[in-house]
Order: sequence, then structure tokens, then C-alpha cells
Amino acid sequence: MPETRVGPGEKVRLGTIEGDLEVSQGARIEVDGRLVVPGTAHFEGSSSVEGSLECRSLRVEDGTVQIRGDLTVQETVRADDGGLEVTGAFRAGRVDVDKRLRIGGPAAAEEFEVGGVFEGGSTLTSPKVSVGGKLRLSGKLTGRELEAGGSVEVAEVDLETLEVGGLVRLAGGEVRRSVEVGGRFAADGPFKFGNLDVGGVVQLRGPATGGRVSVGGMMMAEKDLTFEALKIGGMGTVQGNGAGRTIEVGGKFDVRGSLKLTELLEVGGAVAIGEELTGQRLSVGGSLTARRAVLSGEAEIGGSIATQEGAKAERFRLRHRSKATGPLVGNSVEIESKGRVEDIYGGRVELGRKSVARRIFANVVRLEEGCEVEEVEYVESLDLGRNVRCRQPPRKVDHLPPFPI
Amino acid sequence: MWDDRPHAARGPRRREVTDLYATVLEVVKRYHGAARITRVSYGAGMPVDRLRTFLDRLVALGLLRSEELDGRPAYDITPRGQEFLDTYWRMRAFVEVLERPAEPSRSPPGGSRGPHRRGGPDRYDPP
Repeated sequence: MPETRVGPGEKVRLGTIEGDLEVSQGARIEVDGRLVVPGTAHFEGSSSVEGSLECRSLRVEDGTVQIRGDLTVQETVRADDGGLEVTGAFRAGRVDVDKRLRIGGPAAAEEFEVGGVFEGGSTLTSPKVSVGGKLRLSGKLTGRELEAGGSVEVAEVDLETLEVGGLVRLAGGEVRRSVEVGGRFAADGPFKFGNLDVGGVVQLRGPATGGRVSVGGMMMAEKDLTFEALKIGGMGTVQGNGAGRTIEVGGKFDVRGSLKLTELLEVGGAVAIGEELTGQRLSVGGSLTARRAVLSGEAEIGGSIATQEGAKAERFRLRHRSKATGPLVGNSVEIESKGRVEDIYGGRVELGRKSVARRIFANVVRLEEGCEVEEVEYVESLDLGRNVRCRQPPRKVDHLPPFPI
Repeated sequence: MWDDRPHAARGPRRREVTDLYATVLEVVKRYHGAARITRVSYGAGMPVDRLRTFLDRLVALGLLRSEELDGRPAYDITPRGQEFLDTYWRMRAFVEVLERPAEPSRSPPGGSRGPHRRGGPDRYDPP
């Protein structure tokens, strides 16, 4: 196959050539319209093409090649110990660049693999993008997989998977299957995701919707967050409303608005809900505060629960030495020994030994040894253990007062 | 690798040696067992000679393993290395929280506001 050679430091003008192109270090190629190479364009060392280049394959070794125009490569682009800069549009098959790839215009390829830094000034379309270091892209990224060892800053994404070691910052978009980030994940606008697994920090500045969320460190959602299952090992804040199936919090979790769950809220640490909590089951080992809490199933409190308007559940079970502030409403309310509660409204209410309550309104009331209660109203039966102290004599009534919630 | 902008007023946090080890581990991890030293050097932004000492240390600590691939060493992260990364990122998140100025705490819910409140203090003082 014929070959066109450009020697070291040479300055030539080329248009359409035959065969391959061999370019040496320091060459500068002026272009008549467009440089068309039917074979391989091979650059040894750093050089430049002052216009658009079209070739079957492109190879760069030990240098950086600048293309001041568009680059169209039918097959592969490879830069060994080298980099590539294209000011215009970029289109290629497989791309493998060791050092830096910089593209000014829209870019598309079957696969991008960049060892160092990948910078794009416009959109990027590719099924697979892998970057060892950093990816910075001013436009939208459309593809299937993106992975990077260092950091990713992209305007918007439309992806299946995103896997990054360090930092991710997006304007928004959608990752349909999974987002896995070691360090920090930030989305500045609306974001949809399949699963979100972040070891460090999650910042969601717009509304976010997705499936399973797992955060090892800290999560901050500035708008509403909708999820399937949320697991926070460290700390989490939702400034808007939260909605999902289950939440498991080992550390601290704060929702400024309301929180709606279809199943379980499990709190090992501390959870604060500014408005209403609704859900099926509740398990609190630490502390829970809310304006009000409404559970369709069982609520088990090992630590403390505090509400302004009250907490309602089918069944309450407060463990030894646990504490409830605000009224409790339940078909069955069981306070184990040395519990401290305020008002209780229920079908059946049992206080374990040495528990303290303010007022009890229930059909059936049982107070074990040493309990202290200010006031009791009951409809069916009252069972008092030894040394129970009632500040006012218990009253048997025909009807209980309306429950607060 | 880490976004230090929350503490912009204080200036960016200086990268410490632990951060560099984490960076190297994350870059190696991306190559799924085929990480060459040159590629890792471009990804981590570290010269090859300096990187070699980091890689040797990480292999010695059992955080990386090295195998011959086409006659040249290739690196992969070990489960222990992944454990290091998980702990590192989590700790970084906690350090960030602890170094922030404390937010004023929201007042906890007051006592009950039920319809049968009959005076007395908001919070119940047991008899």
C-alpha cells in the first residue's frame, strides 16, 4: 500500500492521499479542505493537523496530536503513551488513549478507554466509556456504561450503569440500573436511578427518584426523595418529603417534610420527621421524633419516641425503660417495666412494673406493681397491681373520649 | 479525587498520603485485574517511579496483588483493599461532617396537644 511520509518538524499541505500516512515528531500538516487517509494515520511524537482528518485507523505514539477540525475514524484510535486533542466533532470505532483525550465538539464511538483525563466540550455518545482518571464533559453523556477511577463531572447523563471511585457531579439525568460511587456523588438537578450505592457522601440538589439507596457516610437531599429501600449507615437529611418502602438508619436521619413508607422504618440511631410519618411497621432502638406518626401495624420502641400530635399504631410495644412523649393511640399498648409515657388511648393498655404515665383512656387497663398514673378512664376492666399510685381515682366510663389521632 | 469545595473559605484540603493510596486503589480497581503501571500512573496523575513505591507498599500490605500478564506485572485490588476503600470513604464523609460548623438544632416536638389536655405543664412530670 502506498504511504505518505511527513518528516520531523516538516510543514506540508495535504488533501486526499492514497494509502497510509506516517507523521514524525513536530510536523504540522495544513489541510486542503479535509485530509483523507484511506489507511492508517500514524503519528510518532507530537504534531498537528490544521483541519479535519478522516482515516481508517489512527495511531499515536509518545506524544500528543492536535487535530484542529473534525476527526472521523472508521475503525480504531489508539494512543500509546500519548494523547489526542480534537477541536471539532469526533467519530470513531474503538478508542484507546493512554494519557489525555480532549474533544471540543460532539463525540461518538463504540467504546472509549482513556487512561488519564478525558475532557469533552460537547455531547458524548458511546455504549461504554472507561476512564482511569477524570472525565469532564460539558454536554450530555448518552450510553450504557461509564466507569472512572477518579472523578466524573458531566452536564447530564442517560446511562445504564455508572461506577466511579472518587467524585461524581452531574447536572442531572437518569442511570437506569446502578450507580456505584466510592467517594462523593452529587446531582445538581432532577435525577432518576435504579440503585444508588455510595460509600461516602450523596448530595441530591433536585428531586430524586430511584430504587435501593445505600449510603455509608452521609446523604443530603435538598428536595423530595422517592426510593424503594433506603439504608444509611451514617447521617442523612431530606429537606423535602421522603417516600419509599423501607428505611434502615444506623446513624442519624432527618426529614424536614413528611415521610411515607409502605413497610418498615427501622431506627438504630436517631430519626427526626418534621411533619407526618406514615408506614406499616416501626422499630426504634434509638430515638424518633415527628409531628405525628401513623402506623398500620406494630410499633416497637426500645429507645424513645416523641411526637407533637401523637403516634398511632395497631399495636405499641415499649421496651424496658423506653420513653414516649406525646399521646400514643393503639388497639393494644404495652409498656414494659420502668417505661415513661404521657397520654395513652387504646383498646387494651398494660403498664409494666414501675412505669409512669400521665393519663390512660382504654377499654381494658392493667397496671403492674409500682406504676404511677395521674388519671385513668376505662370502659370494661381495670386491674391494679400492688403499690400502684393514681393521683385521681380511676373512673369507669361508658364511652372513651375521642382519640387525638 | 475528593471535592473539597464545602470548605472553600478555608481553602482546599491538602491531599495526604492516605488520599494518594486510595486514589491508586480506585484506579487499579477500574482495570479489573489488568492494571498496568503506566495506565495507573496516568489515572492517578503520579509519575511511574513514585507510583512504583506506592504499589509495592500496597502489595506488601495485602491491599493489592500483582500477577504476570503477558510477561509484565498487572495489579488488582484484593478484598482487603476494597475494605480499606470502604472504610476510607466512610471516614472521609464523617470527617467532613465533623469539620462543618454545627447547625442550630431544631426544637424537638413539645408535649402532647391532644383534645383532652386539661392544663398543667406541657411535659409530664411524674408524681
